[in-house]
Amino acid sequence: MATNDKNYFDPKVLAGIANLGLRARWVVEGLMSGVHKSRAKGFSVEFEEHREYSPGDEIRRIDWKALGKFDRYYIKEYEDETNLRAYLLLDASASMNYASDGITKFDYGCTLTASLAYLILKQQDAAGVVTFSDKVEAFVPPRAKRDYLLQILHALEHRGPAGETNVGNILENIAGQIRRRGLIVLVSDLLDEPEPILKGLRQFRFKGNDVIVFHLLDPAELELPFDGNILFEDLEAANLQVIADPRAIRTTYKAVVQEFIADMRKQCHADSIDYQLISTATPLDQALASYLSWRG
Amino acid sequence: MSVSFLYPAFLFGLAAASLPILIHLLNRRRLKRIRFPAVRFILLSQKRISRSYRLRHWLLLALRTLAVICLALLLANPIFQSGAGLFAGSGPVSLVLILDNSLSMKWAGDGNGFKQAKDAARLLISALNDGDRAALISTNIDGKETFRLKAQKDVLLKELDGIEIADGTANLPAALSKAYELLNQPAGEKEIRFITDMGLTGWDQFSVAALKQVDPAIPLKFIRITRKQQPLNGSVKEVRLGSQGVGVNLPIQIETTIANFGNSEIKELLVQLSIDGQNKEQKLATVAPKGETSVTFQTRIGQPGAHFGQVTLKKDGLAGNAAAHFTLEAQDKLKVLVVDGDPQTSLVQSETFFLIRALNPAGERDSSLFLPSVIVTDGLNAANLDAYQVVMLCNVAALPDAFVTKLQNYLRQGGGLLIFAGDKFQLDNYNQKLAQALSAPLRDKKIGAESTGEKIDKIDLSHPALQIFSDAILQDSIKSARVWSYARAGGKALITLANGDPLLLEQKVGSGKVMLVATSADRDWSDLPVKTVYLPLIQSLTQHLAGGKRGSLDGGIAVGAAKELSLPPSFVGKTLRVTKPDKQNADVAITGEKDRAHATVEANDRAGIYRVSLPAGGEKDSGAPQLYAVNSPLLESRLDEISAKELQTKLSPIRAEVIAVEALEEGGRRVDLALPLLALLIVTLWLEGWLGQRF
Repeated sequence: MATNDKNYFDPKVLAGIANLGLRARWVVEGLMSGVHKSRAKGFSVEFEEHREYSPGDEIRRIDWKALGKFDRYYIKEYEDETNLRAYLLLDASASMNYASDGITKFDYGCTLTASLAYLILKQQDAAGVVTFSDKVEAFVPPRAKRDYLLQILHALEHRGPAGETNVGNILENIAGQIRRRGLIVLVSDLLDEPEPILKGLRQFRFKGNDVIVFHLLDPAELELPFDGNILFEDLEAANLQVIADPRAIRTTYKAVVQEFIADMRKQCHADSIDYQLISTATPLDQALASYLSWRG
Repeated sequence: MSVSFLYPAFLFGLAAASLPILIHLLNRRRLKRIRFPAVRFILLSQKRISRSYRLRHWLLLALRTLAVICLALLLANPIFQSGAGLFAGSGPVSLVLILDNSLSMKWAGDGNGFKQAKDAARLLISALNDGDRAALISTNIDGKETFRLKAQKDVLLKELDGIEIADGTANLPAALSKAYELLNQPAGEKEIRFITDMGLTGWDQFSVAALKQVDPAIPLKFIRITRKQQPLNGSVKEVRLGSQGVGVNLPIQIETTIANFGNSEIKELLVQLSIDGQNKEQKLATVAPKGETSVTFQTRIGQPGAHFGQVTLKKDGLAGNAAAHFTLEAQDKLKVLVVDGDPQTSLVQSETFFLIRALNPAGERDSSLFLPSVIVTDGLNAANLDAYQVVMLCNVAALPDAFVTKLQNYLRQGGGLLIFAGDKFQLDNYNQKLAQALSAPLRDKKIGAESTGEKIDKIDLSHPALQIFSDAILQDSIKSARVWSYARAGGKALITLANGDPLLLEQKVGSGKVMLVATSADRDWSDLPVKTVYLPLIQSLTQHLAGGKRGSLDGGIAVGAAKELSLPPSFVGKTLRVTKPDKQNADVAITGEKDRAHATVEANDRAGIYRVSLPAGGEKDSGAPQLYAVNSPLLESRLDEISAKELQTKLSPIRAEVIAVEALEEGGRRVDLALPLLALLIVTLWLEGWLGQRF
């Protein structure tokens, strides 16, 4: 679990991403839809909320119908117009609560998600967050409000990792709730059956969403760097445990993991899903930068 | 086929072979728990490699255990030996060869045993490699000899050629102690080879505690000379005199006991007696299995002095000591002057009747060792005492002055005087004229009736002349005698009456001896003359007064035993020369003790007759023997063998192994396993490293 905002807003990370020009692609997309930057409050197509009139407000923004109903002056506020709606899906299952050295996958995922949200909001695009385990734990719909980040951070901080993973079902569930197409970012260790995951991701693609998968793995999951006879207990399934000598199985284990990664990458590419493997040992700015650089 | 170790202490390191297994077991018990997200990948990996993983795991464990075992064995440096083992293909060896040359080896291996033993020793010496060193020890050593390990085979082979069968028993403790002493210093492989017929004699009294030095880690291998068939096994057990004394030209009986140690009857065994190298008589004998028989020879000796003889058994295929040596001291007739102080016309009533019969029972000149001459008191002055060895005064009333002077000179020169009392015996005259010859003055005469006679109570059995009374029959006989009249005398008595009065006294005068019998020589004062004991008593006293028992047979001593020679004091500081049967001379220093000199001859290592040469200027009649016999120990003729098991028990904790000589001749091979073990260790460690990397 992220402990403070400082991690999320590391200047180095932000500077790195800004220089790389995340906006470039999305600006082009925004231009194609007419407006990249919201014109002004009140002119947005989507009503957001009422607030009481205060001196200085433009008279034309007074909701006269509300005056008739409530005999008070209310000002209609509209959401800014955006060209991007990003759903940041963060895996909060128990398997994410693992750290061989330093940061857990969940903390790393939170940081990554927050950074992306910040980046997106900074461009005045809409960002929302969904955390899930075998069910949706928190759902923050995408908004383009500048101060929306606090809500996103609150959602991320709402609950630590727990429970079993059921990525496939969750993705299908979320896909059903999203009506407007946008960007789907999945941050997960994908420690589940590959086929349901891919099925869920394909549904996003089917609805015209862009999908990016950040496959988070701890270096220990990649290398199995242990010695001696060890009783491995699964973080999610309590009754799943095995005695093994890592030295004896390391080579095979690494091969198995690499096969899994390769298979996942291959399937994602086949469905035009961006796939990025990130080790939690990789500095966050490098992870984002390398991704954005690759993203073009 | 055997494996020995140069440094067996390192074998304790084998216990370390359990370490890899222990570590494995401990690791299994001490599991580290890790909560891990990707357990499914681990399970998948295990499924893939499960069979080859387990195989490699156990292989690795086996390799590690093998490496530890190899290291421990390598440090212990094992030597593999096949067959009886010649010394081929290994590092330097320090070898001690013990060759059993005891008498029993003469009959081992069907009469060929000693040759087989030497051939085996020759084979072992020839098989020595460069750098090997060996020493050769025979079993007839006394432990004082000096040996050293040598590398020169030719010197060792020459030493081997010089070893002959000894006539004695093996000195096993000395030989083994010497072998361990020799192997105390050198490093490397050490071994003792003992070539023997495993004769029981020598081992039956053996104890490891008797060894001065021992090292149980040094292998002791017995190379056994075997015999195919049990031979006839007889030996001369004893040669003894069957008659009284050995007199010149008198018939003497020599009794021989022949023992059969075997399980077969010995028939038509020719037993031959020879004296002074000349065959005297032959007899045939039959000896039952495990039994004994006696053969008696009758012969005569023509010359006085020392003689040697031999009893020999003659039969084809007879194993055992076939010859027994002995010496004889033939005594010329002892001339005795008997003075009758109360002569009678009737011979029987004569004072000396019983005395003469005791000295010469048959009454013939050539039938007794003693030649008595009887005179009466009147002839005393004319008598030439120097012609007699002993003078006996029987109831002589008074001694003429001239005779007394002669008698005193005679005694000073070593003559013997025996005085009998009697009714005419004048105590005062004797007290006055022979005061020096009496231990105490004669007091009075006790005259009693025959019915009131005193019994004899005490006899000094330590006195040489009275040792005949160790025979119970003679003792019963003398104690049945009664003495009713006697002269009372003082001093320490050799024979005492029941009332405490002395019956026999002795006094030394110069070199001579005087004995006083307080009663009469005839039946007038006692019934002693008619008792069985009278004859041996008189002869024994006469022998004693004449200077000891000279007519005798001496069966000799056993090989290896010391011969004590007693000599007059004048020999002290001089050297005695002993000529052994093999004509070798040994000089022996004569030392003094009290009033006698003595010499101890220890070099009695051969059976046969030893000649003693007295130093120049010594007295001819010194009392020392001119000859003595040395015989092989009787039990050395016994061919019973000690079993390998009994031998190993006796030698515990020494590791003893018994090998037949034939196995030695078949050869063998010895391989130092250090190099193969080193190679195995390197391969094992390389494999372990390679396999470990694969994990």
